[in-house]
Amino acid sequence: MSVPPSEQAKAQDRRWSQLMAAAQEGDRRAYAELLQAVAPLVRVLARRRIADDDAVEDVVQETLITVHRVRHTYDPRRPFTPWLAAIAQRRTLDALRRRGRIQARELQDDTRYETFPDPLANKEAEDGLALQSAAGLMEALPPQQKQALELIKVQELSLIEAAAVSGQSVTSLKVNVHRAIKRLRKLAGREP
Amino acid sequence: MTRATDELIATLSAEAAPVRRLSSPGVRAAAWLAAIAVVAAAAVFAWSDLADFWRRNGQPQDLVALASALAAGIAAVTAAYHLAIPGRSRAWALAPLPFLAAWLGASGYGCLRLSLSGSAEHGDSSACFMFILVTSLPLGALLFWRLRVARPLAPRLVATLAALGVAALSAVVLQFFHGFDVTWLDLAVHAAAVLVVAGVGGLAARLLGSGTAPPRAA
Repeated sequence: MSVPPSEQAKAQDRRWSQLMAAAQEGDRRAYAELLQAVAPLVRVLARRRIADDDAVEDVVQETLITVHRVRHTYDPRRPFTPWLAAIAQRRTLDALRRRGRIQARELQDDTRYETFPDPLANKEAEDGLALQSAAGLMEALPPQQKQALELIKVQELSLIEAAAVSGQSVTSLKVNVHRAIKRLRKLAGREP
Repeated sequence: MTRATDELIATLSAEAAPVRRLSSPGVRAAAWLAAIAVVAAAAVFAWSDLADFWRRNGQPQDLVALASALAAGIAAVTAAYHLAIPGRSRAWALAPLPFLAAWLGASGYGCLRLSLSGSAEHGDSSACFMFILVTSLPLGALLFWRLRVARPLAPRLVATLAALGVAALSAVVLQFFHGFDVTWLDLAVHAAAVLVVAGVGGLAARLLGSGTAPPRAA
């Protein structure tokens, strides 16, 4: 006999709730299993509002990071899915707002591609443009990613030093640097 | 699942230290309100003129206004605690509104009766404004400190409700030190002070958005 979908959903929610309760006690295996299990649901929720695959994956990762940061707020006596869905919806909304802000700032500037016949004559102009471009692109990063990139890559602080300066955890710094570089590449058009 | 997401899950689960679960929002709100009630009651008994308070607030509409302000404060603070937790109903944000309406209605009726009687005893309304602002500051700081532990997903809403709550509670305490009758001007000043505190609280939402790391289990 097949199990009705609503019963399956309830059973799945109970399982996730148990895994999160175990994760709150420090069970890393349960936590990894939970994050792996919920990522597809977060992806589905994000895809309802966002078409771009990269942006959807960003939302999935930001949701998982937020779950990690607020996992102490989950009450195992309550259903897990609404708690998760609220976080996913919030991060989706943040992504849409961020995207709106970036698109509002982007300009089409065809003169940037004009070149001189002598390649050496272009180099100085292009170096300047590259610097301006990098600084401009960094402004488009979320504040925590920008801060992580500046501390680790520009000021060349160690992770411990950067964590002390910024108040971000070492893991958050690593994740934010990784994502900042990924986003910069995308903004610079070097990654599809 | 992308490789980056897999790596992120591996990183997060590798550093999943035990965390201490937050108590339910209702319990946390009750604890905060009880602590504030003890301090406020001590201040009232130590420094206010209770005989003067009863002389000015003996009418039913005065007591309804006071009880409504108290209920609005309690409802706003409780709503802030609930909405700081992911997945709680946004309807909590509406909880203080009926009590705010009752507060303004009952106070307005009291002002009307007073103005018709022509026996109003006037005072310095700006002192009321400052009282609500100055009392709200430490209460708000204490409440923000407690709320930021939850790292609210919607810090502006939570901060506005928290500030509204402490402003309403400050207005309740003010009544015990109000050495003159509440006229229309006074009522407008009280309402303006509550709105200013709620607005400033909303602008200070950033203070809730960068909470410390989740507390570890003992």
